[in-house]
Amino acid sequence: MLLAVLIANSEGNILVERFNGVPAEERLHWRSFLVKLGADNLKGVKNEELLVASHKSVYIVYTVLGDVSIFVVGKDEYDELALAEAIFVITSALKDVCGKPPTERLFLDKYGKICLCLDEIVWKGLLENTDKERIKRLVRLKPPTEF
Amino acid sequence: MAQPFVKKDDDRDDEDEYSPFMGIEKGAVLQEARVFNDPQLDAKRCSQVITKLLYLLNQGETFTKTEATGVFFAVTKLFQSRDTGLRRMVYLMIKEISPSADEVIIVTSSLMKDMNSRTDMYRANAIRVLCQITDGTLLTQIERYLKQAIVDKNPVVASAAIVSGIHLLQTAPEIVKRWSNEVQEAIQSRAALVQFHALALLHQIRQNDRLAVSKLVTSLTKGSIRSPLAQCLLIRYTSQVIRESVVNIQTGDRPFFDYIEGCLRHKTEMVIFEAARAITELSNVTARELTPAITVIQLFLSSSKPVLRFAAIRTLNKVAMTHPMAVTNCNIDMESLISDQNRSIATLAITTLLKTGNESSVDRLMKQITNFMSDIADEFKIVVVEAIRSLCLKFPLKYRSLMNFLSSILREEGGFEYKKAIVDAIVIIIRDIPDAKESGLLHLCEFIEDCEFTYLSTQILHFLGNEGPKTSDPSKYIRYIYNRVILENATIRASAVSTLAKFGAMVDSLKPRIFILLRRCLSDNDDEVRDRATLYFNYLEGDGPVVETEESVKDFLFGSLDIPLGNLETGLKNYIQDPSEEPFDVNSVPKEVKSQPPAEKKAPSRKPTTGLGTLPAGLTSSADAYENLLSSIQEFASFGKLFKSSVPVELTEEETEYAVNVVKHIFDHHVVFQYNCTNTIPEQVLENVTVIVDASEAEEFSEVASKPLRSLPYDTPGQTFVAFEKPQGVPVVGKFSNMLRFTVKEVDPSTGEAEDDGVEDEYQLEDFEVVAADYMLKVGVSNFRNAWESMGPDCERIDEYGLGPRESLAEAVNAVIQLLGMQPCEGTEVVPSNSRSHTCLLSGVYIGNVKVLVRLSLGIDGAKEVSMKLAVRSEDGNVSDAIHETVASG
Repeated sequence: MLLAVLIANSEGNILVERFNGVPAEERLHWRSFLVKLGADNLKGVKNEELLVASHKSVYIVYTVLGDVSIFVVGKDEYDELALAEAIFVITSALKDVCGKPPTERLFLDKYGKICLCLDEIVWKGLLENTDKERIKRLVRLKPPTEF
Repeated sequence: MAQPFVKKDDDRDDEDEYSPFMGIEKGAVLQEARVFNDPQLDAKRCSQVITKLLYLLNQGETFTKTEATGVFFAVTKLFQSRDTGLRRMVYLMIKEISPSADEVIIVTSSLMKDMNSRTDMYRANAIRVLCQITDGTLLTQIERYLKQAIVDKNPVVASAAIVSGIHLLQTAPEIVKRWSNEVQEAIQSRAALVQFHALALLHQIRQNDRLAVSKLVTSLTKGSIRSPLAQCLLIRYTSQVIRESVVNIQTGDRPFFDYIEGCLRHKTEMVIFEAARAITELSNVTARELTPAITVIQLFLSSSKPVLRFAAIRTLNKVAMTHPMAVTNCNIDMESLISDQNRSIATLAITTLLKTGNESSVDRLMKQITNFMSDIADEFKIVVVEAIRSLCLKFPLKYRSLMNFLSSILREEGGFEYKKAIVDAIVIIIRDIPDAKESGLLHLCEFIEDCEFTYLSTQILHFLGNEGPKTSDPSKYIRYIYNRVILENATIRASAVSTLAKFGAMVDSLKPRIFILLRRCLSDNDDEVRDRATLYFNYLEGDGPVVETEESVKDFLFGSLDIPLGNLETGLKNYIQDPSEEPFDVNSVPKEVKSQPPAEKKAPSRKPTTGLGTLPAGLTSSADAYENLLSSIQEFASFGKLFKSSVPVELTEEETEYAVNVVKHIFDHHVVFQYNCTNTIPEQVLENVTVIVDASEAEEFSEVASKPLRSLPYDTPGQTFVAFEKPQGVPVVGKFSNMLRFTVKEVDPSTGEAEDDGVEDEYQLEDFEVVAADYMLKVGVSNFRNAWESMGPDCERIDEYGLGPRESLAEAVNAVIQLLGMQPCEGTEVVPSNSRSHTCLLSGVYIGNVKVLVRLSLGIDGAKEVSMKLAVRSEDGNVSDAIHETVASG
């Protein structure tokens, strides 16, 4: 299960937060944990350079893209490698929507599109689409090209 | 009115800094949502409002029921718009709001329409929304469409239906299971993701059917899977099948191993890695099987991608726990990871190296770790400390550098858990490596000079009291201990006083000086400190009221409290509730560990009754109560000290006229059976109640006394007793048949008076046995290893037994524990599921007050045959033999 996708700005404010199968009372804990993890480790990290951590059986892969930091959390079959795949799809889609690694302003300007992309990539904790070209078409309700 | 995006702030030059959602407010956005109701829909503006609603939801904002309902109804109006961008937003919004069951009906028809639309993408999205908000009844209506969608030519539609199936399997498994054929077909799809999703769903549908999973794996490993993600799933399912199947004994080959090994040469890193990891996790993996996997993982160690490095080192770390030699080839690559930017990778590298390193590399490794420790968090440091502890026990000759390292990190900043881990490590090293003792104790002494944690200070003082007096120069520790009396809080002062007393008791040359120090504590302002000082002072001086021999002083100071704390607590509570002139006697606290009496579980509906006879055995007061009861009966007064009372054994079925159970009381030379009887018929009273016991199958027992019960009125329990003589101190066993004999009299229900004449009658009771476990008290030990070592091998007896076919290892362990009647220690009675071998530690006191320790090592083979190695240590060789006889005859 892909437990969470979280996107924050450089000050640690949450921009997008999507949890799956995480009880409501634990979400706040996860949010602050991830933000702190980012604050401790993401300084000076290059765009899209992946960082990884694990806590018991839960894995976290995170990175920076422009002004935003992206975190994905998973367990079981969503181990560090599967999460790396998921975060790669998310960063590609973000760059695609924003045209470049986004500033916070650009990210918020494209907020609706970004929500749609995330909806296509992860649905209720399962990785659903992995190809950015296809995602680009799906959010406009266009069928995939290869079909 | 829609609120326009806030304009650029004058103070800010950089437009990028500025949020379009600045000042956003839920109330205002909900007002804006009225635009959804306009007859002429403005698609762009509607999309903007939905974006704002999404932003609010993603920020953790919640809508009340009314607000959510309002938004939901308004959003459904948007189905009228033909704008595709807006429609996509509407699908997302409905999923986010997740309307309640009674509201869903509003959108069902619109969604059903979309589900049958010619536009593929409407179909895919409608399926996802419907499946999220649907309940069972609606699902049966749309099942036909979903089945079609699973095999739809458009991969997005197929994936939407299959992923919905994965979610619906949780709520409506029966329906989803009917889709197997379609899902099977979807696995053959040319679209990679459809294949991936279909495989996941099919496996979930069949996961409880081993044969079906095995068939699935057999057919797919032949090579029709193209998607790397699906391939990873297949590797996982395959290794699960391997785990559950049997290795070919002649060739040593495992089924499907060739497939997994072949995946090591796949072109995708993810698949290669999954295969390598699967091989390392095989049970009883051989070196030949491991080698290719480790080689592949080694390459990942120097990958430029941190995720691969992390995955590789994490896997090697696990392998190093069981096969350290297999990982040593990677040592050089791992050493270079110590300086990895990612601290998780560096920590894993260090702890792996500590497991695989050899003696000569320890010093170099420690140098590298020292630099590294300063910039990692406490939780990583704890992992390193634990690894160093294991390393030190592995290479005792290296204790000096390892101990120095531990003491240096002990002086640095750190939280409680970290400091505790270091102290624990030093204590364990001191215990196991005698040469390390003196330097280790001094490190601990220096630490308590400046320790902010009361718990750690008291723990160290206690340890110092036990170990310090045995060193070559005990006097050098006194300064550190007495400093605690001067400088610390009351808890630590009290510990320090105890520690001083221990030095005084053990080291004669220090005694006079200890007296001086203890005397200074006599006027401490804390009660506990003062009391301890007074007590120890009198003890050591040898002129107080509790004066005893030197041996008993040491016993008092160093002997462990062999009473379970729970029992002591209950004893003290009872004493406080019922205060008496007599001081509390610690010897009155039973030593047997509490256990739930089975009699209570058997008859939960039975009314609570009063009277000693029905006291639930096992409660702390019961042993005491039994002893008092028995000693008050003249016939049994000469039997001596009661060794053990069993839990009550039921001798009647539930809901019978007379309820009888028996408690077996074991004395050195006798046994007494206490029959607890209850009369459940209101119209009768029983008189002269006795039990006639037939001991023909218990030859070594001879009846010596019987105490009848004069009267047994309705619902008032009473007891009758029968006593037997048996050979002294010998654990004889036997079977006893029982007949309840009494005179029954009718009772007038109106007056409650019994008639004068009665009739003699008998009532057959069930048989019971006196077994070997009755001669064993369940008494635990706090540290089994220490107890085992200190017992020594003089009276050790070891033998092996075949226990025949058993249901599981857990069942076998349980049977042996029941047979011996001993106390499992350190949680070893719990057998992890699927384990093939297990060690269980037991402790007890045998009749004659002989301490017994047992180490059981059990193994189970493929045919469920269990074999057992039984090692017994006790204070008496005959007792060790008796335990073996019990097992041999059980």
